[in-house]
Amino acid sequence: MNIDFSQFVSEDHKYVEFDFLINGQFLRLPLVTHMEMENISTEEVVEIEYVEKYMAPQPEECIFHDDWISSVQATEEWILTGCYDQTARIWSVEGKSITTVAGHTEVVKDVAWVKQDSLSCLLLSASMDQTVLLWEWNVEKNKVKALHCCRGHAGSVESVAVDCTRTKFCSGSWDKMLKIWSAVPTDEEDEMEEAANRPRKKQKTEQLGLTRTPLATLSGHTEAISSVLWSDAEEICSASWDHTIKLWDAETGDLKSTLTGNKVFNSVSYSPLCRRLASGSTDRHIRLWDPRSKDGSLVLLSLTSHTGWVTSVKWSPTHEHQLISGSLDNIVKLWDTRSCKAPLYDLAAHEDKVLCVDWTEAGLLLSGGADNKLYCYRYPATASDVGA
Amino acid sequence: HPFPSVFLRDIRNTVGNIPMEWYQDFPHVGYDLDGRRIFKPLRSKDELDLFLEKMENPEYWSAIPGKPRDRSVPWDGGSAVKSHRGFGDGICGELPAVDFFSHEVRIHPVTNRPADKRSFIPSLVEKEKVSKLVHAIKMGWIQPRKPKENVPTFYDLWAQEDPNSILGRHKMHVPAPKIPLPGHAESYNPPPEFLLSPEELSWEQQEPSERRLNFLPRRFPSLRAVPAYPRFIHERFERCLDLYLCPRQRKMRVNVDPEDLIPKLPKPRDLQPFPTTQALIYRGHSSLVRTLSVSPSGQWLVSGSDDGTLRFWEVISARCLRTVPVGSAVKSVAWNPNPNVCLVAAAIPPWIPLDPFNPACLWDQLPQLLLGIPPFPIPSPFPPQRAPIPFPIPFPIPFPFQPVTQVTWHAKGDYWASVLRNPGGRQVLIHQSSRRWSQDPFRKSPGMIQCVRFHPIRPYFLVASQRSVRIYNLLRQELTKKLQSNCQWISSMAVHPGGDNVICGSYDSKLAWFDLDLSTRPYRLLRHHRRALRAVSFHRRYPLFASASDDGTVIVCHGMVYNDLLQNALLVPLKVLKGHVPTLDLGVLDVAFHPQQPWLFSSGADGTVRLYT
Repeated sequence: MNIDFSQFVSEDHKYVEFDFLINGQFLRLPLVTHMEMENISTEEVVEIEYVEKYMAPQPEECIFHDDWISSVQATEEWILTGCYDQTARIWSVEGKSITTVAGHTEVVKDVAWVKQDSLSCLLLSASMDQTVLLWEWNVEKNKVKALHCCRGHAGSVESVAVDCTRTKFCSGSWDKMLKIWSAVPTDEEDEMEEAANRPRKKQKTEQLGLTRTPLATLSGHTEAISSVLWSDAEEICSASWDHTIKLWDAETGDLKSTLTGNKVFNSVSYSPLCRRLASGSTDRHIRLWDPRSKDGSLVLLSLTSHTGWVTSVKWSPTHEHQLISGSLDNIVKLWDTRSCKAPLYDLAAHEDKVLCVDWTEAGLLLSGGADNKLYCYRYPATASDVGA
Repeated sequence: HPFPSVFLRDIRNTVGNIPMEWYQDFPHVGYDLDGRRIFKPLRSKDELDLFLEKMENPEYWSAIPGKPRDRSVPWDGGSAVKSHRGFGDGICGELPAVDFFSHEVRIHPVTNRPADKRSFIPSLVEKEKVSKLVHAIKMGWIQPRKPKENVPTFYDLWAQEDPNSILGRHKMHVPAPKIPLPGHAESYNPPPEFLLSPEELSWEQQEPSERRLNFLPRRFPSLRAVPAYPRFIHERFERCLDLYLCPRQRKMRVNVDPEDLIPKLPKPRDLQPFPTTQALIYRGHSSLVRTLSVSPSGQWLVSGSDDGTLRFWEVISARCLRTVPVGSAVKSVAWNPNPNVCLVAAAIPPWIPLDPFNPACLWDQLPQLLLGIPPFPIPSPFPPQRAPIPFPIPFPIPFPFQPVTQVTWHAKGDYWASVLRNPGGRQVLIHQSSRRWSQDPFRKSPGMIQCVRFHPIRPYFLVASQRSVRIYNLLRQELTKKLQSNCQWISSMAVHPGGDNVICGSYDSKLAWFDLDLSTRPYRLLRHHRRALRAVSFHRRYPLFASASDDGTVIVCHGMVYNDLLQNALLVPLKVLKGHVPTLDLGVLDVAFHPQQPWLFSSGADGTVRLYT
């Protein structure tokens, strides 16, 4: 009987590379050196974990813009970018330009998706003209309409974040205030606080949608707020130029706790998987914090490899140990928090400052910078220990 | 007896000088030449016989009992007492003795002189002596002897330790220098090399202190021929002087380690935060950037350059948001420190506009500022933008044709001052932007004005001319103080936010820190830079100040000012910030601190503005 075993030899039998971990730290040096540095005694049993080595992110697309890219947020199908030419743009994941969202009178600083259907999507754009615009995008007809113009800030709006229920969003701005707004489009115009005869204003609002006022205003920061995010259903985390990260209760509007640092915070990111906050500051370190610690300033971990300010950080949505950071030294770094001295990979594609990064659930890494380019990388989502 | 009587009289004492009592019991006294005993006379007179002889013999008193033999030798009337008196017996030329003292009472006394009165009265000689002494005592020439008070005497226990006291000298004894042992030159026959060479034969003419040897080495063929050393006494005298007369003192040499003299300044590591590295470069200008100013919120930065543009930058991203072409070089910009108003004053010849730059286009506020302005044409086409452009408001000043070199705002944001390049005439003007009027506060100008500043707290106005800084009180309209800087040419000035300290940078690379409470002279002159200083600045919150210079560097220093009046300011140089490239012999032209963060902006001749953090 001749059995041809060749059919059992699968084509995808390939060499697999492994990476080793000791005590949760990646082994990058020779074993003896590593153990000396970590003061691991050779008398005891040392457990070495091995994992499949993480492959490098594969560059996919490079999308050219007209001006600096200030912010990027992507879903499975669409990429939304905010640009310094006062517009926000929507692209497909393959890199094709879908539509341009124009309406602001100043630089667009932050963008966010609110809701996506197959028919229409809701998106937000925050700008230096002190307004946040809520847009509706009709996917089929490829038309964008401004639904609401959220006025209330007295300084340029730096950052917006949508909560997990998709009904509210919060915005932080240069006037040191954090405002919570409703993200549900309505047909009524909110009453303005100032009663004034503003014929000019009415014209504008018809173009930009109905005016909306904030649901709540949270004050407490002494300097501008650079970055906001929802860490929980009713919890907002805001990082500011006064060297603090503050956690707020969105329902009551109270300040829950404060994490104090030394330098201006540029951006923060929260990972529900590992429940850690990662912050990028105006020094070259990325710091990990525990938001549940009571009013401390304990930095859990400090990742140092950049040579310039860290402008943006983002956790992986699937892996609890991985995050991506962009910096003024034109490099985007992919980190594993288990090896704090060196990143996993350096993505050096930008020719100018990296201003924003994003990581989608589908495993897509995005980075936009001052060289008007948006780079996309494919990074296979690896199974983390949480799932195992 | 065969011996003649002469010999009898000359019988010598044959027993020697012994007490005669020893021969009392013996019948003999001594021996004669033949060895026979010389017997005493047989019968010696006992007391009774002596007494009878004394009473009855008239020549008892004339006979001398001869001692050797106990035989009375009759006195012959004069020969025995010859030797006792100065008078002789007249035989050998001596005068005969005249007995005027005798036992017999004679008729006439020796002298019949009556007794002097002075025998009975107190002595006149002594009286005279006494009166002289009294007079001397009264005149004070003689001090009467005071009775010695019994002063308790103390014994100084520590006298030995005092180097000046006699006892203490022993401890501090410095021995005399040892006399050097004689060498070959001192020998009486030295080898020829030890003798003085012909050049040194001028030993005599030389000064004693100049001579190499104290003596002249000479050569003698033998020790016998060596003469007496002429300088012996000299040498011994000098040695004695050395030993006891020469004062010796221990010279306490101060061993000063030069590192101890350097004042101990705190380490820069302890004085953080301060800007250390270059973080961002703002590129866009094509020519040298003369001036820059930061908005009070800290979000924007305005810079003016020689390429005729004003650029507005976003601080965090180095993005140039607006470019305003103004036609000619911008000499000075200043952002209004009032955070509610967004105004920038820029010095552009021939007029100074006030640019309201409000990126959020709150047109509501503008009508207030536009009140009363005559319409004017916008000088040059602005790039087409949908956003409102910075709206220059011309501020007509009385002398439109003099170039304006500097503008500066008052802390409240209403008043501002400008400096015109008009030597000899009016140089300083103070304007009020709300009421839209200007005035010239000075009647005569003190030299060439370099820089003016408003005091942050008090109503003072500081005017820096080339060598000195004058402080005027605006309310009282008088000169309060004149600070003399020790610099040749002041280029820039800055006032501490606390209001009590002023720094001046000068073109001779010196930075003078004045403490207004201390004196009108600089408290400290810092010479950190190599070349001329162009700009100086204080931080509003942190105790930092910076100076920009033509060598392309900016030096950040820590300047801590204390609230108590006793402690002087602590000045510590922290960091030299490099980054600018010196172009056309100019380096960094202007420097400004961020209002809140410990960041530093500097503008240079290479056309860039740099941020250091």
